[in-house]
Amino acid sequence: MAELTLFHYIAKKTLIHGMDGRIKLICMILFTMAVGFSQKGLDLAVLTAVLLMVYMAAGLSIKRLMTEIRYFLVLIGIIVVAHSFTIPGTAIPGLPVQGMTWEGLRSGLLFGWRLMLMLIIGNIMTGTTSFSLFKNVVEWFLRPVPFIPAARVAMMFSLTLVLIPVIFDQASEMLDAQKARCIDGRKNPIARISFLAGPLLFHTFMRADEIVQAMESRCYSEVRTPTAFQTTPTDWLLLGFTVAACLMVLLI
Amino acid sequence: MAILEIRHLTHIFPNGTIALNDINLSVEAGEFVVIAGANGSGKTALLRHLNGLLRPTSGEVLLEGVPIAKDLTRARRKIGLIFQNSDNQIVGQTVSEDVAFGPENLNLSREEVDRLVKEILEAVGLSDLACRQPHTLSGGQKKRLAVAGVLAMRPQIIAFDEPFVALDYQGVLQVLSQIVDLHRKGHTILVVTHDLEKVLAHATRLIIMEKGRIVRDGDPARLIGDVETYGIKKPSGESVETMTWLS
Repeated sequence: MAELTLFHYIAKKTLIHGMDGRIKLICMILFTMAVGFSQKGLDLAVLTAVLLMVYMAAGLSIKRLMTEIRYFLVLIGIIVVAHSFTIPGTAIPGLPVQGMTWEGLRSGLLFGWRLMLMLIIGNIMTGTTSFSLFKNVVEWFLRPVPFIPAARVAMMFSLTLVLIPVIFDQASEMLDAQKARCIDGRKNPIARISFLAGPLLFHTFMRADEIVQAMESRCYSEVRTPTAFQTTPTDWLLLGFTVAACLMVLLI
Repeated sequence: MAILEIRHLTHIFPNGTIALNDINLSVEAGEFVVIAGANGSGKTALLRHLNGLLRPTSGEVLLEGVPIAKDLTRARRKIGLIFQNSDNQIVGQTVSEDVAFGPENLNLSREEVDRLVKEILEAVGLSDLACRQPHTLSGGQKKRLAVAGVLAMRPQIIAFDEPFVALDYQGVLQVLSQIVDLHRKGHTILVVTHDLEKVLAHATRLIIMEKGRIVRDGDPARLIGDVETYGIKKPSGESVETMTWLS
């Protein structure tokens, strides 16, 4: 999965990239709800067409999507099989294995289709929204919620995203160092994991402590300059389009 | 009046290790001070007291005559600290976001933050990398970003903790010329290092630490002959003026 670029931000100048992050998140939530509530194949077909249109408008590669989505096909396959065997109905004749039903197969395929569409929605959101903007949007939505420290949650979110590549780099370096000392000779996977996990955790905590000090030395405060969002008429138009598309699917 | 004054500063770690032992020091505005010493001599602990990251067991640190403990935000704005490992200092997901971190903490207006970020990135030559993720930068660029993050707070004093560690030749040149430039622009500079050959020519004062104490303090040309006594490598050449990597 290391070469997976699905859900990575891809910097481009498109209509979708330029949207107000808040409106974009609302649109994606609406599409997710429409996908979730759709019961018929025709509804999902309409949503697929709309989402692929948005996907192309965002300048994201459909070819790459098809290549990388294969990792999820295994999961979808398991879901289809599980539905086929567990949902009662008319048995599918002529199969070597007994117990599969037409209703189960239909339900599994619809479920798998919905999952694929949600992956596409997630990919549109993450592929066109930088992590920092996404963090600011989350903070903006959390701000009016009582008892939730929005700034702290957003900072934790941000730090996690900053630390993930650093920890991966560190783990990779430690693995190489251990390989250089013939760790491959040890066949016990638990011993190998413990040799990596211990020092990695230690370094991660040390690093976290150092980052806290660095933040303090730069006057860290939760009363910070708020992010300035700008909503343009195009954002409202796109929101209107999303609402119309979702209503059409759910009500007609 | 000294811009920075340290009076009888002692710091004892919870395990009983004496990191600093009765340090007295006074730094005038515009000085370029190199603090040298072997590992464990207390250099980093000293720096971390300057903006209140470590609290003294006894003694005090005064910034322009005012104890820093009275207003830590003021101390942290006026004394910028550049950590040894830049990776640990960078908290933004992009270069420009990291520079904005300090000014945003000070709750400056969005326009002011944006103006500062643009100005500082231009000053440190990172404008073209404003949208890059910091972990993809080279060592020298990360160090410059760490400096940019501190400069955005408009500090008077900038303290560098081992600024040349893990940098290649080009990285050292970039960082060193940046330090010299900051001094030229009027900042008071403190550099903690044991790499005297890279920087000493630019220093106006050399302080040598050993076992938590200041053991020598004065003109670099006068003290350079003694450094090996305290476990610090003496750069080759007799003249302090040659002890720089800048040509």
